[in-house]
Amino acid sequence: MSGIFAKRRARLLAMKALRERYVPPEDAVSCPQCGQDSSHRAVAQNLHTCPLCGHHFPVGAYYRLGITLDHGSFRELYPKLTSQDPLSFPGYREKLENARRTTGLNEAAVTAVGTIDGRRCVAGVLDSRFLLGSMSAAVGEKLTLTIEYAERSRLPLILFSASGGARMQEGILSLMQMAKTSAALDRLDRRGLLYISVLTDPTTGGVTASFASLGDVVLAEPGALIGFAGPRVIQQTIGETLPEGFQRAEFQMEHGFVDAVVPRQQMRDTLSRLLRLHEKGGG
Amino acid sequence: MLKRVLIANRGEIALRILRSCREAGIETVAVYSQADREALHVQMATQAVCIGPARAADSYLNQTALLTAAQATGCDGVHPGYGFLSENADFADACAQAGLTFIGPSGAVIRRAGAKSAARTIMREAGVPVSPGSDGPVRSEAEALAAAERVGYPVMLKASAGGGGRGIRRCAGAEELPAALREAQAEALACFGDGEMYLEKLALHPRHIEVQILADRQGNVVHLGDRDCSLQRRSQKLVEEAPAWGLSPELRQEMGEAAVRAARAVGYENAGTVEFLLDPDGEHFYFMEMNTRVQVEHGITELVTGVDIIRQQLRIASGLPLDLTQADIRCTGHAIECRINAEDPAGGFRPCPGQTEFLHLPGGPGVRVDTGLYSGCPLPPYYDSLAAKVMAHAPTRLEAIRKMRRCLEEFALEGFPTTAELCYQLMHHAAFVRGGYATDCLDAHLPELLDFARSLTESEDENA
Repeated sequence: MSGIFAKRRARLLAMKALRERYVPPEDAVSCPQCGQDSSHRAVAQNLHTCPLCGHHFPVGAYYRLGITLDHGSFRELYPKLTSQDPLSFPGYREKLENARRTTGLNEAAVTAVGTIDGRRCVAGVLDSRFLLGSMSAAVGEKLTLTIEYAERSRLPLILFSASGGARMQEGILSLMQMAKTSAALDRLDRRGLLYISVLTDPTTGGVTASFASLGDVVLAEPGALIGFAGPRVIQQTIGETLPEGFQRAEFQMEHGFVDAVVPRQQMRDTLSRLLRLHEKGGG
Repeated sequence: MLKRVLIANRGEIALRILRSCREAGIETVAVYSQADREALHVQMATQAVCIGPARAADSYLNQTALLTAAQATGCDGVHPGYGFLSENADFADACAQAGLTFIGPSGAVIRRAGAKSAARTIMREAGVPVSPGSDGPVRSEAEALAAAERVGYPVMLKASAGGGGRGIRRCAGAEELPAALREAQAEALACFGDGEMYLEKLALHPRHIEVQILADRQGNVVHLGDRDCSLQRRSQKLVEEAPAWGLSPELRQEMGEAAVRAARAVGYENAGTVEFLLDPDGEHFYFMEMNTRVQVEHGITELVTGVDIIRQQLRIASGLPLDLTQADIRCTGHAIECRINAEDPAGGFRPCPGQTEFLHLPGGPGVRVDTGLYSGCPLPPYYDSLAAKVMAHAPTRLEAIRKMRRCLEEFALEGFPTTAELCYQLMHHAAFVRGGYATDCLDAHLPELLDFARSLTESEDENA
């Protein structure tokens, strides 16, 4: 009789082993870089990077702040700021509504005050899921207010960029944010406060041309596309084949545009070290 | 209170009824077919009467034999269980005429709740939401087209007298409707002798949520909360849970109240279930049908409410008022039921009756198993393939899932293939654990679950 239970036990163990190895089709994440499938859980445990080749998947703003700031220290700034439709641009309202519903965000930028290893700082993230992280008047205003908050509170500032550039649907109002954020950063700089800019995939257009490039220290995630005009546009304009890895983070580091390429797993430690080194009496 | 009750059923439900009767001090008379001589309900009853050969039509569906047995043994009540004659209005009437208390609603109520098109009208008038469709029967093609245009495609054409999937046609667009109407009408006429059709909007990926109700002869009606029965394979339920996952408190209350209104509208008496379809938006629900009997999955409601539904049925049939009010009914924790059927999932769910060579049931706190089987007992091929119902009750849904996994690990049945392992896999499947699944969930994930079972058997063969 006990044979029945021994047999069952073996089958249950086999099932458990199979379950752990098994990647159900709807949970499989296919990596665009190495083309291999990993389970969603393995990717998530690896901070949303491919466990096989290290490709960095895009992450949301709250997740980014969650893995950067100390647990429980997060306090969001200006959460209610959101875009209007100043030009009555056709279809813009629906696009905004749709983006708000699918992402649960009010705007493409989320900013917060918190601590990293106990050091207070102000952090902001552009979320590429919200209309490609494009800079609207509201995003510019939110970032400016956040920069001014850092200036007023004498806190270091960290901004994670991921953006397609200025938001076309807001025309000149959107372009004006480039000057506005840059001016605010200039005032921050004059107060002698630290600004670290982290470029994530993709950082392009008006965001690259303004606050993203103005960091005292500019970091980038591996493989991130960083540029003003995209590679396709450049290729069409100059009519030449572009070199391998053109405009990628590593390429930009070799050419002096980025100070260091930091994998996501090391980002928090790197930021923590930079904050410590730049603090009064730090080093 | 009733003194002696004839249990006009077999298997686990006969045993379930028998247990409540014994606790209430009621004598029981079991009936059995020649194939069920060794069945557990026969062994446990005060007395047992053989009512005919193995085929259900000759035994458990044989009204004359049942009534004769009840009268010959001096019974004053008949409990029909589920299936067989439980929703047969003529049998309920025949019991009443023979001076026996039918433990369930009267024949008139069964007819009222059973006629689908008429029930829709009654429910709409009682303020119970019904799915958008024709107001009453559609008499012509033009009328059907107009009604379909109003509610929007896809629509379902249904026979008013229908049931069991006959006389039903699905139409995705206006061009399909005339042909479908003709076909369905012909089928309904052939099967039920009544070609009356009605039309309703087909909800895509709905959830199947039902509310248990109790109503006494004095006009008191309470509901015992809801159950989610969306995990179905071709409309056969496999796993149920109570309460349904992810309903807002307002929606839950609204559904409970709607079920009570539905019961009042048909003048219901005894235990019953009001089935609703819940739209995927999680806000709109529609009356589907009313089951005028105790259900297979009543046990999980008993676990979360602590109410013995069969005992309440016996009390109500004896003419006693309900001994609880709506305020007394509190749902605590979460309960899950897995149906262990004698079916082979790998072989297209072909029923596989046979000899129970060995049976070991799980135990421990919060665990309940209802089965009519014991080691060495046969599961005859003539009736439905339900072998056992394993239920687990715990404070939270996740704990209930964990408990159910543990129960199914302990559960051992040798002799024929069952759905136990499929249920066990489901308890690990993200679609189930996440909750809020729709009625198409099991059919959609079945190939993948079967693949898993196949690769498991292959890896075992390699190791052997």
